[in-house]
Amino acid sequence: MTSISSYLAPHGPHLSPRRHLRQRNWVSHPLILLLFILDFLAQTYLIDSCRYSKLGFAGNSEPSFILPTVVGVNDSFLKNLRQTDSSDTANWLAQYNAGVMADLDFHIGDDALSKSGGIYTIDRPIRYSQVENWDTLEKFWQQSMYNYLRCDPEEHYFLLTDSPVTSPESREYMGEIMFETFNVPGLYIAVQSMLTLAAGYSTPNSDMTGVVVDIGDGAPQVVPVVNGYVIGSSMKSFPISGNDVTRFVLQLLQERGELIPPEDSMETARKIKEAYCYSCTDIVKEFERHDKKPDKYIKLWSGRKPKTGVPYSVDVGYERFLGPEIFFNPEIYCSDFITPLPDLIDMCVQSSPIDTRRALYKNIVLAGGGTIFKDFYKRLQNSVKKIVDDRIAANTARLGLDVKPQPVEVNVASNPIQGYAAWFGGSVVASLPEFYDSCHTKEEYEEYGASICRTSPIFKGMY
Amino acid sequence: MILLQSPSRFLLQILHDRLLSQDKGVDIDCQTVEFDDVRYHIQVSMRNPKVLVLSVALPLPPEEAASFDGLPFGAIEAIKAAYGPVVQILDPPKDGFDLTLKINLAKLPSDEEQKNAILLQIASIREVVLGAPLKILLKNLSMKTVGPEAGQPVALVHRPNESFFVVPQADKATVVYPMRFLDSIDIVLATSFLQEFVEARRTAALNNAPACMWSQSPPPELKGAPESALTANAGFVTFVVNPRHVEGKKLDRTVWNLLTFHAYVSYHVKCSEGFMHTRMRRRVDTLIQALDRAKSDAEKLKKMVTGPSFKKWFVI
Repeated sequence: MTSISSYLAPHGPHLSPRRHLRQRNWVSHPLILLLFILDFLAQTYLIDSCRYSKLGFAGNSEPSFILPTVVGVNDSFLKNLRQTDSSDTANWLAQYNAGVMADLDFHIGDDALSKSGGIYTIDRPIRYSQVENWDTLEKFWQQSMYNYLRCDPEEHYFLLTDSPVTSPESREYMGEIMFETFNVPGLYIAVQSMLTLAAGYSTPNSDMTGVVVDIGDGAPQVVPVVNGYVIGSSMKSFPISGNDVTRFVLQLLQERGELIPPEDSMETARKIKEAYCYSCTDIVKEFERHDKKPDKYIKLWSGRKPKTGVPYSVDVGYERFLGPEIFFNPEIYCSDFITPLPDLIDMCVQSSPIDTRRALYKNIVLAGGGTIFKDFYKRLQNSVKKIVDDRIAANTARLGLDVKPQPVEVNVASNPIQGYAAWFGGSVVASLPEFYDSCHTKEEYEEYGASICRTSPIFKGMY
Repeated sequence: MILLQSPSRFLLQILHDRLLSQDKGVDIDCQTVEFDDVRYHIQVSMRNPKVLVLSVALPLPPEEAASFDGLPFGAIEAIKAAYGPVVQILDPPKDGFDLTLKINLAKLPSDEEQKNAILLQIASIREVVLGAPLKILLKNLSMKTVGPEAGQPVALVHRPNESFFVVPQADKATVVYPMRFLDSIDIVLATSFLQEFVEARRTAALNNAPACMWSQSPPPELKGAPESALTANAGFVTFVVNPRHVEGKKLDRTVWNLLTFHAYVSYHVKCSEGFMHTRMRRRVDTLIQALDRAKSDAEKLKKMVTGPSFKKWFVI
């Protein structure tokens, strides 16, 4: 496990060293983590996110595959039918006539995206952290297991993750599909936030207590976890995600009159965001710095228009620090939500039980692709610490205390793997010997039914 | 995707990534598992960025399958023939693995096409190693020569502790698979799938495919095989391979398809289960619609306010 321990030493918040290998390192909100465990050795994972799934085997330090959660289905035979008759028998006849290959004629992930527009329609089974379409999800899992991971589900234990807001019925469905269709020997459904803490990069002995700030492409959330259990009533959600940063960057660029080809605008803005954005400590000073030394701060982005192939170039200036600034000052982006992220984290901790608050402040963990901006963690730490210190000072002054209360320690932890922190946490958790005992087994499923999958036992093996 | 593909996607991805970024990047140390208990371990260290160490572990062979020094018969020659100077076999293999290769990226041919072809071949290492004995037998068939085992069933490793049999003869080779499945539902689905397989072969379009038969009891070709290998709860599938199926380029495809037959059947059985679920869900939806229509109007008004009335509690 030497490779895993090298990731546990917290580095500065620079971009993951493998970024040049995978353009899509800015992975978004992981919803479901699938873990396969081979009885003796390697275990595999698969995280389904709203946009990205991370698949892999436990014991490895990074996922084997990161795929967008899309399925491209060939529905052309159904379209011909829609004008006339949409009854079920007609549907089935059409599908039968389309030939035996029609059912298996689908692609997932990048293949689906590249083949879209033709006869394949894109379907995203998971939206806003909820599963909308179980058929497509089952197809996605099937392909990912047999084509990408190339393993036989009957030989492996699985670890799936879901977000703290999913309903127990949804977990039941997941268990049903896994046990009935794929005949897995064992299944464990974990909450992403717990796995992020288990990733263990925040404290040397991670004790499964902390606030997980998960900003991906989907629904960012601030989730307090105490001793492995999520405190559901204190969860706060933040409507601004990585996608919004991209949109804001694009908006600024277009307002200034930069020429970006409209068919590619979001993609270009996303790439610019990933390449050049960083988090500053003070906007005013940053503006001054930019104005004083333009050649050091203003970057040039060049690309090619997809349709004509003509090269174009874009100047990137203030967007570099204004993009991530919307987390700290949302009013510059949208007017209906004005609570900055540090305030939200503070509100979340203050609404948790009083005996857990110090531990929660001490362990704020960043996860998700939207947090990989340079110096993001420093800014967040300073902001939260300021709020906490101000409040303590105000209390002390008002009550006239002689004994000063102990200062609250605020730590925001960050690590190059935070893009797929939940996957990594799952990899660590599934490598523990207690994991096998905590899984739901097929025998239990056959005895008691799918309701066993509603909860999974928390085990603390990280010490 | 109907057929399982020969190169391992993960290995191919790592190889391509390594090529694109020769001097940057970090150490890689990953273990992967493939179906039928084949394990890979790939390592790259930054001290030698151009060298990859790939270790492969193969499934445990049953007693009757011939193995030569832990590797299938003819594997080492096949590796040397396929990869040339790019790959070097390390002896002894790493702990827990059967074969360790050192891949030297600096020795790849500079032509783009050939480079990609060799990378694809490296990612198909499983086909090369496990398929070596089968390839030798089928090559004899294509050249219409007969090896020393004519007429006798030869056991080859198929899955952990399972084997399949090849009976080579002068003008054809008969391949027999005893099919075993663990789950009772799987057994039923597999049996009907295989029988459909045989039926489908009879359609006119597939006359050039190898003849295919299915039977519940061991076929007569397996007379010389040991008893323990002859129990199969999903019957026996027999293919008759003619020389024209193994000439030239087709040899590789035939070897791969024959090698992974059980995985293929298992994949399709799982797919059928998945699609049955789809049909069942659609059926439940129509039934719920029928139930909703049967409600009286007063209840329907109430329903509008609170939301859907009948909730689907089960997938099936």
